[in-house]
Amino acid sequence: MKVGLKAMKTYVICKTIDLPPGERKIVELDGKSVGVFNVEGEFYALLNYCPHAGGALCRGPVTGTALPTNEFKYVYGRAGRVLRCAWHGWEFDIPTGEALVDPKIKAKKYRVTVENGDDVVLHV
Amino acid sequence: MIDCDVHNDWATAEVLLPYLDPNFRDYIVRGELPGPRGAFPHAHRPWLHPEDFRRHDIRPKTQDDHYTLMKENLLDRYGHEVAILTGEEALEASTLANPHYATALVRAYNDWLVDYWLPKDKRFKGSIIVAAQDPAGAASEIRRLGDHPDLVQVLLSSGSYRPFGDQLYHPIWEAANEVGLPLAIHLGGQGGINYNPIGCGPTTYYWETHALLCQPGMSHVASVIANGIFEKWPKMMFIVIECGIAWLPGLLWRLDANYKALRKETPWVKRLPSEYARDHIRLSTQPMENPANKEHLWAILDAIDGKNTLMFASDYPHWDFDDPTRLPIPPDWREHIFKLNAYQVYSRLQPKPDVTRSREPLAA
Repeated sequence: MKVGLKAMKTYVICKTIDLPPGERKIVELDGKSVGVFNVEGEFYALLNYCPHAGGALCRGPVTGTALPTNEFKYVYGRAGRVLRCAWHGWEFDIPTGEALVDPKIKAKKYRVTVENGDDVVLHV
Repeated sequence: MIDCDVHNDWATAEVLLPYLDPNFRDYIVRGELPGPRGAFPHAHRPWLHPEDFRRHDIRPKTQDDHYTLMKENLLDRYGHEVAILTGEEALEASTLANPHYATALVRAYNDWLVDYWLPKDKRFKGSIIVAAQDPAGAASEIRRLGDHPDLVQVLLSSGSYRPFGDQLYHPIWEAANEVGLPLAIHLGGQGGINYNPIGCGPTTYYWETHALLCQPGMSHVASVIANGIFEKWPKMMFIVIECGIAWLPGLLWRLDANYKALRKETPWVKRLPSEYARDHIRLSTQPMENPANKEHLWAILDAIDGKNTLMFASDYPHWDFDDPTRLPIPPDWREHIFKLNAYQVYSRLQPKPDVTRSREPLAA
């Protein structure tokens, strides 16, 4: 563990091989529950607390969704990028933390880096 | 020989997944089904929750998981003193055509409730579920179990064949009154033989329909008042669970206005509809309307004396669960809505000693 600027702490969560694309890992750090996600090889982390009503955001399904359309048809997209809160089902874009229904509503994001070749490191 | 009708069945409807539009794959994989995973989504009710109506973080695998997860995620987490159990699928017996079968099913459920659930936790109280399409069978089921000290209400699905004030159902009211239990309705029974629960025909999508769940509640409230239920059984309480609440003041204003002109149509109704509602009808809070400006809601709820007529409900473990720590109610209503009103309505609940003291006016 090392302490950086803004008193930020970093934690080695796992090796990259232990968090393959499409998977997540929920970790408890300093009383915070944080979900770390691998979306198509990129790592992202969100606080496991839904900005809607405090639900277990990161325990919901990672999925795609029906994209907005201008006619009566379903176009499936964002596959693997959408996290649905486990409680009430609000959808969030994992890379940005933004709610699909209203991008002004944001899940708290944390930075994730890969260091020493294959350490997945969470910056909290 | 040419055989013109041979059925080629599947072991699971998930064999369709590779062929299905990807948008609807999610509906099969995670959405509500009328059976276990792999069931085909035929319409036991026409509206199936596309992501399943249960919370995604509550995933019991064994029967006993249902209790242990509830204990951890609800009872212990929020400090419940009492949890009134309302079953799950058993309410759907009201959708079956065969009334004998429906009553046999709810009887079996009620016995399982008493045998399995009630002994598990001192906080549990139960509901006697009955099948309204069998009024005589429902009445005998109420009398069979009506003296059980931990069964605190009679419960019907809000979906029905007729509104519940109808004389067809008076044997059910009579039995509930006889054993001294309130009668409650809970959202459900929205298919089968029951009347379409949405006025002007079935709506199309789950979320639009769910927002209209107030419609059966409104109809039953009007019906029980107009049919004189509370004149015939003056101690009866009617509890409306999971039908919303903010609609009630407007409905009562309309009922009062109409009654004043047309009371001769129902000469057995002696008081204003709003007066019966105040004394005999209680609404559970969930799913609580939650406008951006709480004052808008509170002004409406004040019109029905919400402080004294609403009772908290979480609807655990469903997708529209209300977290008791976030309920948008005025602070000085909390003690009543979270506890005192339920103690008043559910006469079989035993208040803890401190409740008497807390009935004193609360500091603002």
